[in-house]
Amino acid sequence: MPDIDFFNFFRQLLSLVATVYATVVTLQSLWGWYVWLAGQDKYIGMVRRYIIVHGLRLRFLKFVGDLFVCILLCVVFIMLWHAHQLVHELKLAMN
Amino acid sequence: MAASAAALRQLQEMPKDELEHLAEDIGVEPHEFKPQDLASAIHERRQMIAALDRAAMLDVVRWGRRPVPANASREHLAKEIAKIKSMRFSGLSQPGLIVLAVMRGIKLHGNEDERELTKSLKKQEGLFRRFNRKRRAWIGSIVSNMIAPDESDEDYKFLPPQPGASGNAPSALREGSIKDEIEEAGLIGGLASRVKKTADSYLNQKLDEIELRIDRKLDEIDNRLAEWRDKEVANRIRILKVTLWASVIVAGLSLVYSYVQLYFPHK
Repeated sequence: MPDIDFFNFFRQLLSLVATVYATVVTLQSLWGWYVWLAGQDKYIGMVRRYIIVHGLRLRFLKFVGDLFVCILLCVVFIMLWHAHQLVHELKLAMN
Repeated sequence: MAASAAALRQLQEMPKDELEHLAEDIGVEPHEFKPQDLASAIHERRQMIAALDRAAMLDVVRWGRRPVPANASREHLAKEIAKIKSMRFSGLSQPGLIVLAVMRGIKLHGNEDERELTKSLKKQEGLFRRFNRKRRAWIGSIVSNMIAPDESDEDYKFLPPQPGASGNAPSALREGSIKDEIEEAGLIGGLASRVKKTADSYLNQKLDEIELRIDRKLDEIDNRLAEWRDKEVANRIRILKVTLWASVIVAGLSLVYSYVQLYFPHK
């Protein structure tokens, strides 16, 4: 009977499914936008310029705090990931 | 020279009715010429127009209150000057009188003063036309006293500059008194012109109001869209932040679990 750690199994399965799902949905959406905005119609050209203008007029101060927190959380997440690897290496060394 | 000959040839190839129409536009009386000579007459008139002083032409247009943009071409100005039938020359400068005389087909020697130019222009009008004009002026003064006794002329304004400036300008902006209009175009023509002008001015005013309202609405839509865009981006980032918090908490728990498993292994 194989010794399965259900917590690890669930964690890895969840990370795999969530990553694949998020990647597929994001790429699908980006591809759809790209195809639509790459159209040759003159109104699509106007929409392209309009989007650029809106991008330039974006008020960063309204969400710069949240953006900063997100960056910090990403750093923390990477550190935790690294800590996991260290624990795993430690476990191998002890065994 | 070659261009001039080509232009003449082009005129000679034009249909008769089109040629007559063109002649009337630039002040050439088509019935005074034989059909074979009309093209040459138009060509000569065009060359003469090209040689006229543009500032003096603008002066005539201002005096005649014709609706033209300030950057109009010489030919466009000449067409408008040809439409001026007024015989009240007060307020018109000497260069303007020269342009008007030339456009009305008066032969000049080049040394005429204002008085002589005015005299030549009046002489050129003829007795019957003068009589008819006086009659129209009399009717005009009666009508203007009846319907607009306090009417005063507004200052002339050029139309806004147009890119081509050679097309036909709308006659809506012409601002003369009703008396002058009746004198120039007759009772029915003058009244019709006044009604048309009033209707045009009302329409223009309404169109301006509509344009203003549309502009205001577009600004409002733009502002709303900008607010919505900022809110949407902020919301997305907040969702991302919540997701990251959840990931970090789960990662922390997982690390604790791994640590516990390492130091307190399952028997």
